[in-house]
Amino acid sequence: MEIIQLAKRLEGLQTIDSIAKILNIDKRTSINYVWLLRKNGFVETLYGKRKIRMYKISPIKPVKSGYPGLYEFLNQNSKIKIYVPYINRIYDHKPTAEEMIVKAVQTGDFRTVLSALNLFNKIKNWALLSKIAKKENIGRKIGALYDAAKTIMRVRRMDERIRKSLLKGRIDDKFIVKHARTRDLEHIEKIWNIYLPFNKADLEAYKE
Amino acid sequence: MINLQEQISLFKNVLGTQLKKKIECIAIDASAMMFYQAKNATKDVDLVFLKKEELEAVKELLYKSGFNERKNVGGIFREDEDTTKPIMMEGKETRFDLFLNEVIGFKLHKSIIERIMEVHEFGNLIVKTASPEDILMMKGCTERLRDRDDAAELIKKFNIDWNVIIGETSNQTKIGMLAFPLLLYEFLTELRENYKVDVPKEITKKLLVIAEKQFKELKKRDQLIKVTKYEFKK
Repeated sequence: MEIIQLAKRLEGLQTIDSIAKILNIDKRTSINYVWLLRKNGFVETLYGKRKIRMYKISPIKPVKSGYPGLYEFLNQNSKIKIYVPYINRIYDHKPTAEEMIVKAVQTGDFRTVLSALNLFNKIKNWALLSKIAKKENIGRKIGALYDAAKTIMRVRRMDERIRKSLLKGRIDDKFIVKHARTRDLEHIEKIWNIYLPFNKADLEAYKE
Repeated sequence: MINLQEQISLFKNVLGTQLKKKIECIAIDASAMMFYQAKNATKDVDLVFLKKEELEAVKELLYKSGFNERKNVGGIFREDEDTTKPIMMEGKETRFDLFLNEVIGFKLHKSIIERIMEVHEFGNLIVKTASPEDILMMKGCTERLRDRDDAAELIKKFNIDWNVIIGETSNQTKIGMLAFPLLLYEFLTELRENYKVDVPKEITKKLLVIAEKQFKELKKRDQLIKVTKYEFKK
């Protein structure tokens, strides 16, 4: 079978077992096929829960120039991995955690925002985070998410001046995720006048 | 001709870093295929904009960077409608073809944007790449030989979702591209016969059914169909 045909046939997220099943071959041979596909640039290896090795196979060879975009950045830096809906590359500068938190909140997607909570540990420049967040009118959302992150994990301390400045921030919409409101973190919601999308059970994913 | 790295450098240095506002566009044709590594070089960079002011901003910037507008835009484009013709900005090594909402008989809308496969950020310029299915359909409206070569290459290299093609064909007829199903039917049949690529027969059958249905309805309403098949003039 031609290598491109093989990549087309196995397109998607696969494990050694699923490849063996699809091609009706034994595990050893499927490992060899993965090696061949990787050699030709059609495979990216990901790790799932309990460190299961997964192979993202695509006939499209991703462009590797530039820096990783939001989803790849989150998968590299957060404990909660997310599905990458499209390839995203940034060419003009190396993205920072500060910028990526803001981008994650702007997506309005539950899992992306949940995954971004881990990035509060990577913040080096709180002033920059505040500046970007205020520019995008999501300052209070960022503050509320920081407090939510603090309930479940150890995070770097936010400068008090930044906190005050975020509290004064304007917002366009109270919802971080459309129509999603928490039952457990209402005390944080009250402080920031924002609706948080997570309950405590959602945040438990960070403890697993 | 420019390669992928040169295209990236153009996007980054000529446009991205100099644009004042964030502008989004969709790369189609060979520009998108280069991002998918399905093509090594291209003569022209094809970009589709959804807002006129964004297209104008890019045009102005290109002009300032030494690109000149080509006035006699003929060939495969409809002579009667100025809006469907691209703005062609010619430089020393390459040419930018800037489209607004429509690409030679194929209109861009929300579901096409939802299907984009890659997003490339060059400062204030955000380039999204059209999906292989959409590129294939856009090529279906032209008569150029190199478009057929590219389309055959796309079918060979990618897992084309034929249901998307059928769904989009219906969408295009709904938004006024009445001849689209017939053009695509002819195009795919030709690809299957001359290029020996794997185009499922049931798909071409379905396309023909959509086209015939379209003709019957038009006949009932006593409306003539606008012919949008273009021949490439040298």
